[in-house]
This record gives sequence, structure tokens and C-alpha cells, in this order.
Amino acid sequence: MKILKMAKHDLDFFASVLPAFGEVYAPVQRGKGFVFDKPSAWSEVRMDYTRTILPPKKLLLPPRETTFSFDPDQGFTDNLAEASKPVVLFGVHPYDIYGLNILDRVYAEAKFPDPYYIARRRATVVIGIDFVPDDKHCAGSMNADFVDHGFDIFLSDIGDDYLVLVGTSRGDDIVVKSGCLMQPATEADFAEYKKRSRIRRDSYKTKLELGDLPEILEMEYNSKVWDDFGARCLSCSSCSMVCPTCYCFDVTDETELGNRAGRRIRSWDSCLLRTHALVAGGENFREERSSRVKFRFYHKQRGFVAEYGRPSCVGCGRCVEVCPAEINIITVIETIRGERDGISSSAPASA
Amino acid sequence: MKPKIGIFGLSGCWGEQIAILNCEDQLLDIIGAVDIVDFLGGSSVNDAESRLLVSFVEGSVANAREEAKIRQIRERSDLVVACGSCACFGGVSAMDAPFERPKVIETVYGSNGPIKSWDIGPHRPLSDFVKVDLAIPGCPMETTEFVRAVSALLNGDMPLMPTYPVCLECKMKENECLLVQRGLPCAGPVTMAGCDARCPSHNIACIGCRGPVEEANMASIEQIFGDKELPKEQIKLKLRVFAAPVLDRTEERG
Ligand code: SF4
Ligand code: SF4
Ligand code: SF4
Ligand code: SF4
Repeated sequence: MKILKMAKHDLDFFASVLPAFGEVYAPVQRGKGFVFDKPSAWSEVRMDYTRTILPPKKLLLPPRETTFSFDPDQGFTDNLAEASKPVVLFGVHPYDIYGLNILDRVYAEAKFPDPYYIARRRATVVIGIDFVPDDKHCAGSMNADFVDHGFDIFLSDIGDDYLVLVGTSRGDDIVVKSGCLMQPATEADFAEYKKRSRIRRDSYKTKLELGDLPEILEMEYNSKVWDDFGARCLSCSSCSMVCPTCYCFDVTDETELGNRAGRRIRSWDSCLLRTHALVAGGENFREERSSRVKFRFYHKQRGFVAEYGRPSCVGCGRCVEVCPAEINIITVIETIRGERDGISSSAPASA
Repeated sequence: MKPKIGIFGLSGCWGEQIAILNCEDQLLDIIGAVDIVDFLGGSSVNDAESRLLVSFVEGSVANAREEAKIRQIRERSDLVVACGSCACFGGVSAMDAPFERPKVIETVYGSNGPIKSWDIGPHRPLSDFVKVDLAIPGCPMETTEFVRAVSALLNGDMPLMPTYPVCLECKMKENECLLVQRGLPCAGPVTMAGCDARCPSHNIACIGCRGPVEEANMASIEQIFGDKELPKEQIKLKLRVFAAPVLDRTEERG
């Protein structure tokens, strides 16, 4: 890996070379929140954003995508050309890059590789950037606050400069294209990086213990806390929608009026929804809301660990931000560990 | 021969019939695919007799005349589709469900009002009287859902209607949450989706016009409203505006 540095005040020059590599998406403000969007001017880009409402997953696995269209005369036409359009995703926090690496394992490296995801992932330049955690981030505890792959370039704040980690040959092409903006990094820069890295690691206000969590989840499988969470949950699915590593989808066909042509659509789904485990004949494997809340956390913190060797949660704090019922990775782990007495506000008692 | 369909309005505001006429880009495709033989809102020449493949019915049933009408529509149709929240749940005019009709009329028109001469009972959803094959809720229904339904039915399929709440679509559009982030009384978590989160996308809290989701967790959302210092009863009052008969019955069943 090549390590360079770039002056912060040169960032907009650097940004001006990016469109040559694809359509640029960067964090911009929406309401009080942030989203990855096409900035109309570079001054709109918020380097200090906390987290975006939706994770970068929205660009690699769109909320609703047409995978192919069908027509009785022309047969099938896949949407891979559309999915292969080059994109530059600028300003991605490490936990979100981690999230993409997890999606890679599920969608690109698993038994049934997904051509649409792979096409988009290949066509997407990822430029990472470090961040200052707030009280909702728990990426440190989830071992997702530093990444060593999954990006083309990673920028770390070292004061007046960014330390520039070049992760791929495509990243190197960008560096070459940005010409004299990049300087060799010095011993002093490395020392500054190490100092800040330490500070960043220590600045997490939320710390969760993962050590024996799969075992504790095993012990608490029949715990009443799931009924309490179930009584609160609205099955609104917001938590799965915003989660960088929730990857469930539903597939539907839509036909055109008056002929038999149409398209196949893939949309985000969630295990919190009543229909997620509903099968033909009306049988539902997770009829009870409590079993669905439980399933989400067992999948993230136990099932995924068994299959991939780490939890699928990356500690982005999005579920902490969006759940109207305050059921999130922090409240659930602390409750299940017996370190917290349920959720702060008065919960409706479970039956 | 093209399949014959009918479009009917009972007690409603004609919103769905206007929504159908507003499908401007698809109208030619629609009439290319079906023969609309009975549609008072669209034509003064109608065939009230022939057998219909599908009847699309808007509005609620409010008196004996409308009850006879919906039974007759059912008789002559292979499929009956309830269009809009009045047909699906009773709608706005059923908001007074628990009150006695004469009292309501007296309150509005005074004691010399048309209490006796008015043949209007409580407004009730179509499914109280006949079998409904498909419900397209909304106030008014979304034209996209209507067109998708016509297209699916013509292929012999039942269209897949959303069963999830508005929040799913709202999140997909990456809106900031009005309930959580701004403490506004949004009914999205308990309201059926399909509108593409139309109101929250314009910074307006969802008013529940598409009716409640099947397993709306009212106890929890009341609690959440309370925690946000919103009046707890507000959420139920909101949903009752469009779906009072359905909500009241769910409550009776417990
Ligand atoms: S479970 Fe919550 S904190 Fe963890 S990755 Fe998903 S949204 Fe982020
Ligand atoms: S937590 Fe639920 S929605 Fe998310 S990936 Fe697992 S099963 Fe799917
Ligand atoms: S856990 Fe929270 S965000 Fe997820 S479905 Fe339940 S209420 Fe919605
Ligand atoms: S604004 Fe309303 S509909 Fe949108 S996510 Fe929040 S509660 Fe749900």
C-alpha cells in the first residue's frame, strides 16, 4: 500500500479530477441529516458529517432495482449495463467501507455471486475518510473503525494535511491524475497519524462488549426481554432499511398493461416485517413480533458470526438514530447482558 | 373481444374516478386493453346489464339503495375491486361511526333539519356487504397502483399490494424522520405503504389515509407519542379519520 499526503486546502482540486472516474456522490446535508448525493458544488460537501441517513449500500444494492425486463418477442434484457456505470463514492467512513466488505462476502464471494452487485461494486470508486465518533457510533466495539481493504483511496486527517492511503491500482490512477497535489509522507506525518489514531480510538463514548456475546445470546434465547422488545417494536422496518449490512430482498414481477412484457424488481426487505417468514399456505415462521426482533439480533450477532467469523453489525449507529421504539444495537446488547434495565421510557408491558 | 369492466361510485367524493381519468399517460393503453362499458363518471351512455370481468368501486355504502347497488355489482362481476379508503375502510364519512346518525344530523343542521327525510345510515366498507377480491386503499388511491392492478388482473394475477408501513418507503427515499428527528405526529409506522411516502417526502407528517397496517402496534405508538410529548390519543384519532369502522372493530376484538 502506497502512503502519501495532500494538503487539506487542495481538496477541491483533488475533487475536480474525480468526475473523470465516474459520477461523484459525496455527503451533503438534507434537513438536519446527511445523505450521499451528487453535490451541485464542492462547497456543499460536508467533510464533518456524522453519518448518512442511508448507507452507501443504497448505491450498490439500490432500494428498488429492475434487474431485467422481459418481453414475449424479445426475451430477457438484463440491466447490467445500467449497473456498470462508473460512480465515485467520496467520503465514506471506515465502518461503512467495512459494511461494503461484508456485503462483498454475501453478494460477491458467496456460493451464488450476484452479477448486479458485483457490476456496481466494480464500477464504484470508494474514497474513504476518517471521522470523529459521536455517542451513537459503536464501530470501535464492533472492530469496524479501521479498514485495510475495500477502498481505492483513504484520507486520514493529520492536521493541515490528509494522509493518503492508496488501496488499489485504480486509486493510484487517481493519484497520478491529480499530479503534483500528492507529496511523499514524512516520519512526522506518521507520528501525527499514530497520535490521532489513538485519540480517535479512545474517543468512543459508547463501548459494547462483544467477547462472549454469542454465548450470552444462546443463554438468553428464551428470555422475557424479547417479549418486552416485541411489545415495543412497530415492525416499521426502519432499522433494516438504514443498516449498512442488512441485505434481505424481495423479488416481484411487474407487467405492462395489455401485453405480457414486464420487469423483475428487487426491493429491500426486512425480517421485522410480518411477511418476511410468511410462506405459501399462510404459515408464518415468525408470527410473533418478539421472534422477529430476536431474529434480527441473532442474525447480526450470532448467525453471522457462526458463518463469517464476525458480527455483521459495524457500529454505524443508524439503528440508534432511527428506531422510534429505541430498540437498537446498544439498548439490546446492554439489556441482554443485564447491564441495563430495559429501555429508558416506560414501555408498554408485554402480554 | 376485449374484457368488459365497470367503474362505479357509491358514497365518496369521486376522487378515485377522477384519479382514473387522470391516468393520462396510460388511458389509451387502458382502453386499448379493456372495454369500459359502465362508468357514469366518464360517459353518459352506459350498459348496466352485461357481465363484467372486473368492477372497480369507489365510495362507502351508506343506505339501502347503495347496498342494493353493490350487491347487483357483485352479481354481475367476476371480480370486485374496492378503490380508495372509503370503499376499503369506510373512509372520512365513517368517522362518526360510534355516534347515532340522527344526533349527528341534528348537531349539524339543528332540530328543524332533514333528520327524518335523509336516507343516510352509517357509512360502511364494501366488504361489510359483499366479497371484495382486491382492496386498493388511499385517499385518493394512487394511479400507479390502479394501473398495476388492471395490468395484473388482465394477466390473471392478483397484484401484490404492500403489507408494510409507510416508513419502509420513507426510508427508501432517505427522508429525515419526522417522528424521531422532529417529534412530529407521523402515522407512518402504523399506516399501509404504497404512496411512496408522499406526505413525509414533503415534510408533512403522515395522516394515515391508506388505513392501518394489519398488525398496527397501537399501544406502542401511543407510548412513543406520549414520550415525545404529543397527545397520546392523537394517533388513534388520525387513523380514525379514514378507517374508523376497521379500527373500532379491531378494538372490540381486543
Ligand atoms: S445494527 Fe445498527 S449499528 Fe449495527 S450496522 Fe446495523 S444500523 Fe449500524
Ligand atoms: S437482520 Fe434481518 S433484514 Fe437484516 S440481513 Fe438479517 S435477516 Fe435480513
Ligand atoms: S426495531 Fe425499531 S426500527 Fe426496527 S422495526 Fe421495530 S420499531 Fe421499527
Ligand atoms: S417520517 Fe414518518 S413515515 Fe417517515 S420514517 Fe419517520 S415515522 Fe416513518
